[in-house]
Amino acid sequence: MFVLVLNFFLFRVLPGDPARAGVHDPRLKKDSIEAIRVRFGLDKPVINCFETLNPIKLGSCDINPLDTQFFIYLKNLVTGELGISYHTNRPVATVLAERLWNTVLLIGAGQILSITVGAFFGVFAAWKARTAIDYGALATSLVVWSLPTFWLGIILLFWGSANGLPIGGKATPGMSSAPLMQQWGDIARHMILPTVTYTIVYMGEYMLIMRSSLMDVLSEDYILTAKAKGLGVFQILRDHALKNAMLPLVTIIAINLGFTVAGAIQIETVFSWPGLGGAIFEAVNRRDFPVLQGAFLLIAVTVIVANLIADLTYSYLDPRVHTE
Amino acid sequence: MEKLTQKDNLPSSTQFSEFWRKFKKNRMGLVGLVMLAAITFVAVFAPLIAPHRSSSILNVGVSDIYKAPSAQHIFGTDDAGADVFTNFIYGARVSLTVGFFAAFISIVIGGVLGIVAGFFGGRVENILMRFTDIMLVIPDLPLMVVIVALTKPSLLNIIFVIGLLGWTTTARMVRSQTLAVKSRKFVLRARAIGSSQFHIIRRHIFPLVTPILVVQAVLVVSLAVLNESTLSFLGLGDPTVLSWGQMLNYAFGRGAMSTGAWWALVVPGFGIVWVVLGLTLLGQGLEQVLNPRLDTHHLMPGRPNVKSTSVALSRNETQPASGKSLLEVQNLSVNYVTEGQLSARAVESVSFTLKEGELIGLVGESGCGKTTLMLALLQLLPSAGQIVNGQVLFGGRDLTTLSDDEMNTVRWSEISIVFQGAMNALNPVRSVGDQIAEAIKKHLTGFPSDKISTRVVELLDLVGIAADHKDHFPHQYSGGMRQRAMIAMALACNPQIIIADEPTTALDVMIQAQILELLNSLRTKLGLAIIFVTHDLGVVAEMCDRVLVMYGGVTAEYADVDIIYNEAKHPYTQELLKAFPDLTRPKKKLSSIPGYPPRLDALPAGCRFAPRCPVVFERCHQEQPSLHQMDGNRHIASCHLLEASK
Repeated sequence: MFVLVLNFFLFRVLPGDPARAGVHDPRLKKDSIEAIRVRFGLDKPVINCFETLNPIKLGSCDINPLDTQFFIYLKNLVTGELGISYHTNRPVATVLAERLWNTVLLIGAGQILSITVGAFFGVFAAWKARTAIDYGALATSLVVWSLPTFWLGIILLFWGSANGLPIGGKATPGMSSAPLMQQWGDIARHMILPTVTYTIVYMGEYMLIMRSSLMDVLSEDYILTAKAKGLGVFQILRDHALKNAMLPLVTIIAINLGFTVAGAIQIETVFSWPGLGGAIFEAVNRRDFPVLQGAFLLIAVTVIVANLIADLTYSYLDPRVHTE
Repeated sequence: MEKLTQKDNLPSSTQFSEFWRKFKKNRMGLVGLVMLAAITFVAVFAPLIAPHRSSSILNVGVSDIYKAPSAQHIFGTDDAGADVFTNFIYGARVSLTVGFFAAFISIVIGGVLGIVAGFFGGRVENILMRFTDIMLVIPDLPLMVVIVALTKPSLLNIIFVIGLLGWTTTARMVRSQTLAVKSRKFVLRARAIGSSQFHIIRRHIFPLVTPILVVQAVLVVSLAVLNESTLSFLGLGDPTVLSWGQMLNYAFGRGAMSTGAWWALVVPGFGIVWVVLGLTLLGQGLEQVLNPRLDTHHLMPGRPNVKSTSVALSRNETQPASGKSLLEVQNLSVNYVTEGQLSARAVESVSFTLKEGELIGLVGESGCGKTTLMLALLQLLPSAGQIVNGQVLFGGRDLTTLSDDEMNTVRWSEISIVFQGAMNALNPVRSVGDQIAEAIKKHLTGFPSDKISTRVVELLDLVGIAADHKDHFPHQYSGGMRQRAMIAMALACNPQIIIADEPTTALDVMIQAQILELLNSLRTKLGLAIIFVTHDLGVVAEMCDRVLVMYGGVTAEYADVDIIYNEAKHPYTQELLKAFPDLTRPKKKLSSIPGYPPRLDALPAGCRFAPRCPVVFERCHQEQPSLHQMDGNRHIASCHLLEASK
């Protein structure tokens, strides 16, 4: 709820009249501007008495609270209506929906890969703690953690373009008439570089967390019990350590899912991937407030859903949560 | 806790030199520090180092654009014909400035909010932490992008936006540290004598929060540098200032890619990685020094057992008169080795024999090497532990020579162990029944799988746990139930020996009695041999056949239980008995042994008990007593007095 309200006011408080910023053209006549304002609902007061925050005038406020931008915003939210883009004149929901799927595709692939790779090396490093393997993995993860996403993207792009990989976008133009299998193959080829970038950047963090979490678990008494029971190393790792060590990772993954849009902005800019991050970036440059507002709402929802999923997974993994 | 209080009273210069001494050993932190010092040096003395003046771009021709690296321009030129290396050096100034100032803002906000929330608690804390949580959930970068894009793109703006959005983690960490510090004794004391709240925060809380602030500051700077470069790369930076991100933005947007001018892309990025990596390493190093964690765990490979052949192995001093001996421990010695150096002689030349169905009590104060000895029997020592001498003979084999795989066939199926404090000895995320079944599946390979569940119920029933608790998790069990479940698990594979390592500590008296009774009855019912580790002499008197008293890692006395109680020869045993209430002599005065057992890493030169011994004489401080056999090998003790009386 707080997010919804904040989201609304953020784009009202920021400098620049949304209408004039969106249709910034001195040739427009005053009444056309007014017409545009009406079209986007900007002629209405922002909120009851918002403009007259002057304490002397506060008493005389005769605006119908149901006829304010804020109320309409809330009403539209309930019906899933996010407004109309200033720039493309299309409904924000439609614009974002198609962008969202592209981002989900990219981030999904990247997250799955980085979690798998990161967790694998994390387990390996913890198991072989204080050996060359451990130190190597540790150093690697610190280095990749320090890489700026966009820069790694550029470098990979540079390398990829020299090796015949597509350098941007989601599909080769003209592919839409090709058979479905070929289209998918084309998309997959376009995904290689951004996904690899994403994987490398996030891998280090997952590795570090998995390592330290597993180190904690492996020094617990119940691991000694398992060892005393005569279980082998692999059996102990698989049956006694991994599930317990996954717990902190789940939390981080959930938090990261919300934040991935941030990474997406960089990757999608470098690789011209038509996703949500790119949409935000474009919308910022065009002062397309409805799109921004919608995108932030979407991010907020993602974060909340991701946290919900984390809680559910957590209680599935840890019996202490759901029985108490 | 007291230790910390003392440390707090030390003059800050001593504290710092102590910190520096530790930090010098931390390679990660040092590398980070050097990396940062180098780049800071470059930034400060930019005009002296830069090969070209940054304003020399005025007269460039088309041919100067994206010139490949050469002697004149070691990293080539950029889209405007300027020297990349020169821009790189000046860029360091911008990136570091933004990083440090933005981080300063974040740390001040985060620190103040954290301390205020943690210190005052209540509603203030609630509101502040709620706010922090919300800020934490909002993804920074999109928000930064929006705010920076919609305000004027100046360096100052960027610093403020990054600074104002980057404080959340700091606030949370500082708050939890403040909460922890707040309840320490010296803070409570300061409160009790009526110090003002500001004074308490300034003098008592702040110094203890500082380490966290320092580590956080380092990490926040690195994030700020990353954020600035990202914003600049996205074209949202101050166009008048050439930061590394800005350089990348220009190069990427103005055809460095298509002209193949890799130098214009690689060099600035390298700068960012250098700074961020340096900060990360420094942060990690500081964290390790200020907040040390033991980097060891149970799966790390142990040290190979070393046998010095110089010591005669089988002295057989305590051959049992009757009964078949099951387990024979001879001259077992265990050392702890840390960082390649001997840090403690935890167990030295301990021998004992366990017969079938016998119950041996292993007695001694905490830190006398009892647990180490038990772990050594099963080759379960932590990775720092090393068996340096002796034999553990079981079933015709010397267990100390077995490989880990061979050992796994002995563990649990022949010798099982009940650890002290079953609180953490059971895996919290697996049901108790499942964990018992696991042992059966592992060792009784021929066991019909459909009968396992029945067997588990049977075992639980044996220790008095109802069948419907089988699928419950350890946290649903009470402390006593957990310990009984541990015993059920120990019985699962019909072992010959059970090692019970202080199974009743941390349990209340009634439960203790139940557990002991259970163990005793199982012994008679199943014919188990038990090694019972305890410091409770009452238990020993009641249940044990023989008693091994350990002190400072060596055998003090070893004999039948009635000999120990009636004719103890070693002063330590005698003192222990005096400290223990005797129901037959209720008027007897209880006395405790002054002092503590020796630290195993700082053992006295002569007899280990000498510093506390009431009958100590000169020889005790110089020479370690050897074991004296009395009563036809049935009673041994190590004391110089025995030799004197002979």
